[in-house]
Amino acid sequence: MRFLIISLFTLFICGSCSLKTTEGLRQTTLTKKEVINPYFLNSTTDYIYKAKVGVYGRYFGGILIIKKVAEDSHRVVFTTEFGSKIFDFLYEGDTFTKNFVLEDLDRKIIVNTLGKDFKLLISEKAEVLEQFASEGVTVYKTKADNGYNFYFYEVASERLDKLIKTSKHKEKVTIVFESSNASEEAIVAEKITINHSNIKLKIDLDYFKKD
Amino acid sequence: MRNYLFILFVLLSLTSMIAQEVAMNALEIDVFKLQVSNASKSTTTIASDFVQFKHLDFLDNDIETSGKLVFKAPGLVKWEYTHPYQYSVIFKEDKLLINDDGTKSDVDIGSSKMFKKLNQLIVNSVKGTMFDDDDFEISYAKVDKANKATFIPKDKKIAGYIAAFELLFNKNDGTVQEVKMIEPSLDFTRIVFSNRVLNGTVKDAVFNN
Repeated sequence: MRFLIISLFTLFICGSCSLKTTEGLRQTTLTKKEVINPYFLNSTTDYIYKAKVGVYGRYFGGILIIKKVAEDSHRVVFTTEFGSKIFDFLYEGDTFTKNFVLEDLDRKIIVNTLGKDFKLLISEKAEVLEQFASEGVTVYKTKADNGYNFYFYEVASERLDKLIKTSKHKEKVTIVFESSNASEEAIVAEKITINHSNIKLKIDLDYFKKD
Repeated sequence: MRNYLFILFVLLSLTSMIAQEVAMNALEIDVFKLQVSNASKSTTTIASDFVQFKHLDFLDNDIETSGKLVFKAPGLVKWEYTHPYQYSVIFKEDKLLINDDGTKSDVDIGSSKMFKKLNQLIVNSVKGTMFDDDDFEISYAKVDKANKATFIPKDKKIAGYIAAFELLFNKNDGTVQEVKMIEPSLDFTRIVFSNRVLNGTVKDAVFNN
């Protein structure tokens, strides 16, 4: 009986410590030291998206603007459809600057959450810790603040399809990219979804279509 | 000294060549206000196309969106973006009725003084009856092909979001051609109207979400 309890307890503990992100994947040897997120690399492209944000049943829209302003620096600005700024963030390497946040939204939890989400979205590269594979997909595990990031690449196209940020034990944020124009000069993700697992926050982004 | 004067003269003439903006005198202001007021009094409906340019200093190109504006007296306004996405906002009483590509929502602006003010200004600038507004410092100028009114908010909170509104009016008929909202950072939104139809039939149903 005692043995059973210990076994069950051990099972329970281990069950909760393994990340579901790597379930069904087999670990392989490392084939690269670094992963690259290709979607916001070009400094001459204005990355403009129509955004829809759903937060705890409330909904609002706007325009998300991302621009690589210097090596290792991105500006991320959110405006209303009329053009007035809601927030304006600057990322320079690991330095985060809040240029502007609309007074009603300027709370630590909101700025932190959005600040981290967009940091995850625009980060260009990360050092690979482990590598996994399953049919048609290569997954790279990288180090992140208090956890890991998992980059999912489709093997055939070598395209980044998904990015999952986790704590040590749980998935926290999932970003899904849809891109079809790999041959163009700047690789653009036409659709992006940012979804949180622990809070009800979802951001849908649609790239502005060219005429 | 003569050199300095010469440089000053060149600089001044260059500045005036670039800006081509001359402040109106008191008489011109009165004539201009009367023209705009007459134009707006005879207006019951407006339907117009617009192109919006969002300028941010760090972008290579302004962000261009476009659509249609419909106004019906006394205070119904619908802004409808049709390119590159579908999005409309109806200003109706104390509410904003939003339709974001099929996702509908209401925003109650009754409680927000700033939103009320902005809403009122948008309605008034479409109508052209905004010169009685005590909440703004207003100045008047003649530019190349238009008359220009600049509104600077007196309220500090509003001034934290909008440094100035600039409205350009057609010299011939006193209707609004262009609206420019300048942020404290000097980034701006510029809206240019075209294909304006005055006093055509506009059904009330246009303003239902």
